[in-house]
Amino acid sequence: YLSLSNMPNYKLTYFEARGFAEVSRQLFHLSGTPYVDNRIQRERWGEFKSMTPFEKVPVLEIDGKVLPQSFAIARYIAREFGFAGRSNLEAAWIDAYADQFKDYLEYIRPFFKVAIGASQGDFEQLKKEFAEPNRDKFFGFLEKLAKDNGLNGHFVGDSLTWFDLLIADHILTMENFVPGFLDAFPAVLETREKIVNTPKLKEWIEKRP
Amino acid sequence: SMLRYKLIYFPIRGRGEVARQLFYLAGVPFKDDRITISEWSSLKAKTPFGQLPVLEVDGHQLAQSFAIFRYLAQEFGFAGDSPLEALWVDVTADQHKEYENKIKPALRFQGSEEEKEQLMRNVAEPARDKYFPLLEKIAEEHGSSGHFVGASLTWVDLLIAEHASILLKQFPGFLDRYPTVLAIVDAILSTPKLKEWLEKRPDTAF
Repeated sequence: YLSLSNMPNYKLTYFEARGFAEVSRQLFHLSGTPYVDNRIQRERWGEFKSMTPFEKVPVLEIDGKVLPQSFAIARYIAREFGFAGRSNLEAAWIDAYADQFKDYLEYIRPFFKVAIGASQGDFEQLKKEFAEPNRDKFFGFLEKLAKDNGLNGHFVGDSLTWFDLLIADHILTMENFVPGFLDAFPAVLETREKIVNTPKLKEWIEKRP
Repeated sequence: SMLRYKLIYFPIRGRGEVARQLFYLAGVPFKDDRITISEWSSLKAKTPFGQLPVLEVDGHQLAQSFAIFRYLAQEFGFAGDSPLEALWVDVTADQHKEYENKIKPALRFQGSEEEKEQLMRNVAEPARDKYFPLLEKIAEEHGSSGHFVGASLTWVDLLIAEHASILLKQFPGFLDRYPTVLAIVDAILSTPKLKEWLEKRPDTAF
């Protein structure tokens, strides 16, 4: 086939949800990079599973090469398009906080699975036992980070990064489950407000499926 | 002396060793700050996440072992020869972390022989047999004869080789079913400059 430009062909495959693909979708949109936003229905997952390296989505196809792992994908795209900070050290800072975030997601999982309806359980009890203490620990770090960064609308550095997008999207999800979930973290919320009001991002949030 | 880099960690290999190896392989001097438990208790609150290792670069602190390894690897040329290779290095490292977290309880267990055996059968072996076939597949598709990803030494080579050397000391034969992995680990540990470090580094149990 004929490629009409030097730009690689990108196809991102995930379910019909924001989940672990949303940050990558936002990066494509923010950078003005064309890509195929391939959303598959959960019932059809069996057909696609074996085509992925680790039987998981999202996967990113670049000129037919299939790449797994949402964070590795987001980091890769962010570095390619300039959303990974202005230096290697800033990029490393982002990686460090992203890893902490991943750990936090693991810790709140018992609550999260019930909140999204993937398991049965006592929502209130799990919220108190898993969501709240882990929130206080992780978002405590972020509150300090936002303040130390001068409340400039970003968690690290002075440019929009994939970590900004990661956190803003997660806050949206958690507020849907627990209104006011992050009320004790005003610097985080202020940073989130500025992130989601970035014009090109606002545009995407309004028109996305 | 004005050293740019200081690595703060306990006097063990653990989650600091790959960073030390990267400095040594790159020929970059650094302060290898091995601290005591009591020094840690006063330092802890001053670190980003209350955890070690921490890397200080020109006075700025960086935490989280993988972020540190990736940073040093990028600076010194051990992160793969292209952004795509760097991605596969990251992916392999994350798979490795997942496996190590699962197998850790079985490796550190100090109890009855019977309980140890059960942990081996119920935890260690399944964790191994889930991860190492994937690792072999990655090496086949993206690696080369002496490397898990790409054709030059990367931080994930160091990560896996370090783990394998501890594992095999404790459980010889544990990876016999994975000759490709063993061959790559062997090749990595035979890299001259790394071999030099392995011989002269402080001797610690883990």
